[in-house]
Amino acid sequence: MDATHIRNFSIIAHIDHGKTTLSDRLLHRTGTIATRDMEAQMLDSMDLERERGITIKAHPVTMTYTAKNGQVYELNLIDTPGHVDFSYEVSRSLSACEGALLIIDAAQGVEAQTVANVHLAMKQNLTIIPVINKIDLPHADVALAKTQLEDILAIPAETAILASAKEGIGIEDILEAIVARIPPPEPTGAASLQALGFDSYFDTYKGVVTHVRVFNGELKAGLQVKLLHSGKNVEVKEVGSFNPKPYIREKLEVGETGYFTANIKSPKEVKMGDTVTDARNPSPALPGFKEIHPMVFSGIYPINTADYEHLKANLAKLQLNDSAFVYQAESSVALGFGFRCGFLGLLHLEIVQERLRREYNMDIIATYPSVVYRVTMTDGTLKEVDNPAFLPEVNYIQKIEEPMVKAFVICPNEYIGDMMALIAEKRGAVDHTETLDSRRVMLTSLLPLNEILIDFHDRIKSITRGFGSMDYEHADYTESDMVKLDMLVNGESVDAFSCIVHRAKAESRGRALAAKLKEVIPKQQYAVAIQGAIGGKIIARETVSAMRKDVTAKCYGGDITRKRKLLEKQKEGKKRMKAFGSVNIPQEAFIEVLKA
Amino acid sequence: MSFEPVTSLYVHVPFCAHKCAYCAFYSEASSGELIQRYVQALIREFELVAAELKPRTIFFGGGTPSLLNLRQWSQILETMERLNLTGAAEWTVECNPATVSLDKARLLRSHGVNRISMGVQSFDDALLDRLGRIHSREMVFKSFDTLRAAGFDNINLDLMFAIPGQTPAVWGQTLDEALALGSEHLSSYEVIYEDDTPLFAQLQAGEFEVDEELACAMYEELVRRAEAAGFQQYEIANFARNQLGGSPLTAESPGIPAHACKHNINYWRGGCYHGLGPSATGYVRGVRTKNWSNTQLYCEQLEKGRRAIESTEKLGALARAGETAAFGLRMNAGWPFEQFRRVTGQDLRHEWRGEMDRLIKQGWARADSEGFQLTPAGLRFADSAAELFLR
Repeated sequence: MDATHIRNFSIIAHIDHGKTTLSDRLLHRTGTIATRDMEAQMLDSMDLERERGITIKAHPVTMTYTAKNGQVYELNLIDTPGHVDFSYEVSRSLSACEGALLIIDAAQGVEAQTVANVHLAMKQNLTIIPVINKIDLPHADVALAKTQLEDILAIPAETAILASAKEGIGIEDILEAIVARIPPPEPTGAASLQALGFDSYFDTYKGVVTHVRVFNGELKAGLQVKLLHSGKNVEVKEVGSFNPKPYIREKLEVGETGYFTANIKSPKEVKMGDTVTDARNPSPALPGFKEIHPMVFSGIYPINTADYEHLKANLAKLQLNDSAFVYQAESSVALGFGFRCGFLGLLHLEIVQERLRREYNMDIIATYPSVVYRVTMTDGTLKEVDNPAFLPEVNYIQKIEEPMVKAFVICPNEYIGDMMALIAEKRGAVDHTETLDSRRVMLTSLLPLNEILIDFHDRIKSITRGFGSMDYEHADYTESDMVKLDMLVNGESVDAFSCIVHRAKAESRGRALAAKLKEVIPKQQYAVAIQGAIGGKIIARETVSAMRKDVTAKCYGGDITRKRKLLEKQKEGKKRMKAFGSVNIPQEAFIEVLKA
Repeated sequence: MSFEPVTSLYVHVPFCAHKCAYCAFYSEASSGELIQRYVQALIREFELVAAELKPRTIFFGGGTPSLLNLRQWSQILETMERLNLTGAAEWTVECNPATVSLDKARLLRSHGVNRISMGVQSFDDALLDRLGRIHSREMVFKSFDTLRAAGFDNINLDLMFAIPGQTPAVWGQTLDEALALGSEHLSSYEVIYEDDTPLFAQLQAGEFEVDEELACAMYEELVRRAEAAGFQQYEIANFARNQLGGSPLTAESPGIPAHACKHNINYWRGGCYHGLGPSATGYVRGVRTKNWSNTQLYCEQLEKGRRAIESTEKLGALARAGETAAFGLRMNAGWPFEQFRRVTGQDLRHEWRGEMDRLIKQGWARADSEGFQLTPAGLRFADSAAELFLR
């Protein structure tokens, strides 16, 4: 298809604002899928995605549309992960497009996530087509949605299309707007092939299947191509598109979107956002490539130590379709053998853990997540630390910097005081406050990533009775007074509970952890000291008093079998305990605390 | 085929007038009809095992054996006589102080029952009520006199301590009154919170807290007072007098007082026994058996002419010896090495040398050329010690 008849676009929306329903409508209206095939939520393939209403992985879909002007267009819907954890992936997907549909729920208005994603799309200079969806709802407020479009997102209200994806209202207008408003792709003017690899998945038979958008030249089977950033030369085996199932095409030309295979064994070999070019006559790389780095780290351990190999195999499988996920073996005194895992953000971490549990049926425990700290040593060298265990001794540290995020919190007016208090508690500073409408405000603030890892989102939900929403983008690093908090049991450090915290929070966290540990550590024949320490300084202390007795008060003939089995079980349990000096602590106790 | 006869017999009577708050034993509220059916089934079970039984010790436990009426007792006792099962050197029947009558006591005594174990639990009426006991302190005194009048010269009192709400003063008072009665035997144990009991549910619900310190203090008080009153502790929860009427009796083995309960010692020493009645366990020729707990089901099986065994367990020789070692250590006398070898075929000094050394080093046990036993400190950690011996 000639480039003037191609349109590449994606859809930006907050969870539940109707992205999936609209996608399905477009697929249906263009005849890409028949009604009978229209499984709800066609594009989202993982159960987890459906449950959470977000897209983690999605194929680009090619649709054929005959416009009112009588001409036939190839419309490529390039779906994006809806969450900022995957902002680099979002930005890569967006850069494969010339335009984006921005969906706003007429009943809900603009949400925090919408703001973050519109910022990304604007950075990519995409043509944005606002769609005010769900106008059929009785409490839809189209006028308000329009005001918010202008005030918050600076998008002219008159450009908005009114629609109800559910009722099929406005679908035609949207398709026409895609054709009329989104510019057609233009060749870059380079000498040879330039294609953007923006995603990939693993196929057992074909190896890595890379999603591409051709910017210049053409991509076809048999061509020797070079992956510029990965530094790899491969021969293209197959090219094709999705409708939404993959189908083979002779070639992909300027502006077209699809996939290629090249006997690539591991997704790690293809970097996200890489430029594919002609190996014999290479063109320069497309702009915007970045190496992706995990932002959040956590240890993942099998609850049953015998599952270690099994976990290892499953992590490898997971990584096949999630090249942003990284892991390496580590071991912990308290938890045994496991893996240090890196994630793009909190949601990514949660998703990987959930997939391990549900799809792979693994019984796992995760340690307290950590962000990546930048440590400047006294000799001037820079060190990145994602594991408290590797934080250098204080006297070698010149300064520690921590990653910050710019967070958008939208909440009803009456909770603004509580919300500001929460942000302050989380060491954040509110940059500015905007009134969205008569009911809601948006607080834009700068917060340490470390502070929003655990319960920030839940706290917002509970403060606002479920009406608040939050999203964030990554911001720069800031120097911070961070310290390493160690938890000691009878003087020995329990690595699984060490963490890097702000000095102002170390004491309360140390106390809380000590109290929790006291609850779960069973009484021993000797008293057990539980301490929280920064460097050599003890800041929290609890004592598990010595057991005074361990005896069954009453035991006669009828009790013997049951009692023996109980003792056998205890004995078996003690074998799995970890020794801290003279103290034996069951692994379950540590797991209990990590779960809490 | 002929075997050495089994010399210990336990009979479970699964009926109670009222279920106590702490009790996890199998028992059910009594209906006259079911009790009658049970008696017939039990008679049938006696007939099935009589051939290999020559009881030297018998123990009727429950439930509340004293709940059976005169006619029912007569049927059981006559059956035992017919089957040549009477004449045991020690024959105990458990009684609730509320269900002892002179007629019943005399009937039992006249057929050879020579020991009564009375479930007193406390002499404090408020605590008795708290525990869901149906008797009062006055009934204890009255029943004790009745039993003496019927000719019982070997009586045990069961007491419970660390009952929620029980103060040291109340416990001291109960001990005083129990010891003043002059029984030959005393069983006293800390309250146990068994799953599926009202007391456990109350604990879970946070209605009270367990005070370990207090429980330990009460135990120490028990040991001190019992010994001062002439009792000798021979097991974690059991105390007995070593002489009667001023004339010393010869102890069966060192460290075991004359009035110790031989039936229970047989359990701790890994001896054989038959167990009859719903939920009763047996240990015969190395096989542990357990009867169906449900009385209905128990009766149905026996009405079909077969024993009502729900499950059996047979451990290997070493595992069995380990179990025997573990439970024998509950006794102050511990294990004489030779006796252990006779019972189990294994030598403690070989297989368990490391464990014994470790316990001795901890101050929890001591040994000499004759045997091995836990110290008073070790007895407080008898489960930790027992665990080491299991194989």
